[in-house]
Amino acid sequence: MLRKEVNDLLTQTDPGTPMGDMFRQYWIPALLSSELPENDCDPVRVKLLGERLIAFRDTEGRLGLIDEFCAHRGVSLWFGRNEEGGLRCPYHGWKFDHTGQCIEVPSEAPESGFCEKIKLQGYPLVQIGDVLWTHMGEKDTRPELPEWEFSTVPAEQTFTSKRWQESNWLQAMEGGIDSSHVSFLHSGGLNSDPLFKGAKGNAYNLADKKPVFEVTESDGGLFIGARRNAEDGNFYWRITPWVMPSFSMVPPRGDHPVHGHFWIPIDDENCMAWSYDYHPTRALSTDERQAMMDGHGVHCEYVPGTFQPLQNKYNDYMMDRAAQRRGDTYSGVKGIAIQDGSLQESMGPIIDRTKENLVSTDNGIIMARHRLRKAVTALRDKGITPPGTIVSHQKVRSVAKVLGPDDAFAEACVDDLKVRPGQKQTSV
Amino acid sequence: MAEAQFRVDYPNSKTRSSRIFALDKKAAQVLQQISEAPWNGAHFLTVLPAKDGKDATDAAYLRLSHPDGSPADVFEELRHADVVILISCDTRATGTAEAIAKVAFANKTMIAGLALAEGKSEGVTNEVVASLRPYASVLVVAQDNDFVPAMLTALRA
Repeated sequence: MLRKEVNDLLTQTDPGTPMGDMFRQYWIPALLSSELPENDCDPVRVKLLGERLIAFRDTEGRLGLIDEFCAHRGVSLWFGRNEEGGLRCPYHGWKFDHTGQCIEVPSEAPESGFCEKIKLQGYPLVQIGDVLWTHMGEKDTRPELPEWEFSTVPAEQTFTSKRWQESNWLQAMEGGIDSSHVSFLHSGGLNSDPLFKGAKGNAYNLADKKPVFEVTESDGGLFIGARRNAEDGNFYWRITPWVMPSFSMVPPRGDHPVHGHFWIPIDDENCMAWSYDYHPTRALSTDERQAMMDGHGVHCEYVPGTFQPLQNKYNDYMMDRAAQRRGDTYSGVKGIAIQDGSLQESMGPIIDRTKENLVSTDNGIIMARHRLRKAVTALRDKGITPPGTIVSHQKVRSVAKVLGPDDAFAEACVDDLKVRPGQKQTSV
Repeated sequence: MAEAQFRVDYPNSKTRSSRIFALDKKAAQVLQQISEAPWNGAHFLTVLPAKDGKDATDAAYLRLSHPDGSPADVFEELRHADVVILISCDTRATGTAEAIAKVAFANKTMIAGLALAEGKSEGVTNEVVASLRPYASVLVVAQDNDFVPAMLTALRA
């Protein structure tokens, strides 16, 4: 249960809200780099944290993320002409550069300096890996560029996708750190999905549906360990890092690529579920990359030309009751990503947490909310920079490992939980 | 939130019987501070030192008190408990954790363990965690004591 005022505090991210201010402390994923593939390509509409923006790559390759609407008459610059170093409004020809600065007003004499007085809100847009990142906060609080491992390994080792989810960001994020649902909701896919199957750890998952949880705080957020029975009295541990505000990493399976998510608010009732897959030490195989593109693992298929999942709430996620009865899928919905997304959307745009009934095994979620609330209020009341903004907090890995009966994961896996360049993930 | 207007508005759960045990003096101080807040029937219980020569792991010898100092009986407290939370700051209460756990297990009640790490060294906290691990189905290490009321609120204690 969460009191309404706390629920509102954590779920509202528009400009001027405390949580919105907190998200604006971070570099967040804004677009796939493939959405702006070349200079002077088509501009792309982006909505982030309740702000409607337009992204474009100008003639010189400079990336811009600016207010979507022309400062003159409010026309959407999605209709604009991306040409000769800027984005020109098709209505009256006003032109803006990649920072949002107006650089031409055809009706006014250039010598008048009129256009220098016109500037749209603009945010930096930086390519790191296959993602374009933005920082929507004040320039003087801008942290160093992010160094998440998935976005800093060579291009052949990583793959990122994103999908539109019609729910608030928090209920989506909470799904990512809720390890206990895996043995139920995703049980059908562990031995069939090409990006999961074959791992020895899958058998532990399926054999022990009552994991024991341990939650510890990290500098940037949490480590959530789920412990299941293994052979000879040992335990199979799956350890999920969560870094504030909305990064998580799923524990690996065998030598499959490692995956995880960012959940970035579009507005209070929509978010973008970012899903990455990477291998720390080798290139993704052709089959693996194809499987990701085909929507396996944490990825999904799309309505062509959009980031809306092909299985969506308007077609009941293509529910297959026969598959549900057979046990091919536990919920009747195909695919890990949409299994999660369908249930999280079914909660409603913003779940009313005053009505929920949490139990002890939800303590990862309880602690995450607690840390978010503390960080939000510390920023709002004292100007304290929240955890997760600095690079050292981002250098985390998920872990799957068999440990002895008396081992504490935080001690036994202290090195496994850190990024170790050139070394594989710790996995079973 | 227009969508929420179509939800049926009714209470979907009954009051839980939560039993929160402070296993040591520091934990008792934390509980004392929060026990006066309005809770949904939660019982805050402090474990007192075992009498000399008595087996601390035996629930029959467990000495408990309510926040007002009145004595409590572990068997009676756990008879109808839905939620049992053990809170500890140090390792001196290992035996009492076992004593409470035996009764809770007999009643098929799950136990959550909470190790309070505020002001403690990592080594001490690790020992606390190790002492609770055999009994807890979920174990949380909290760096600040503010987490206690947050968790209890979340669990409708």
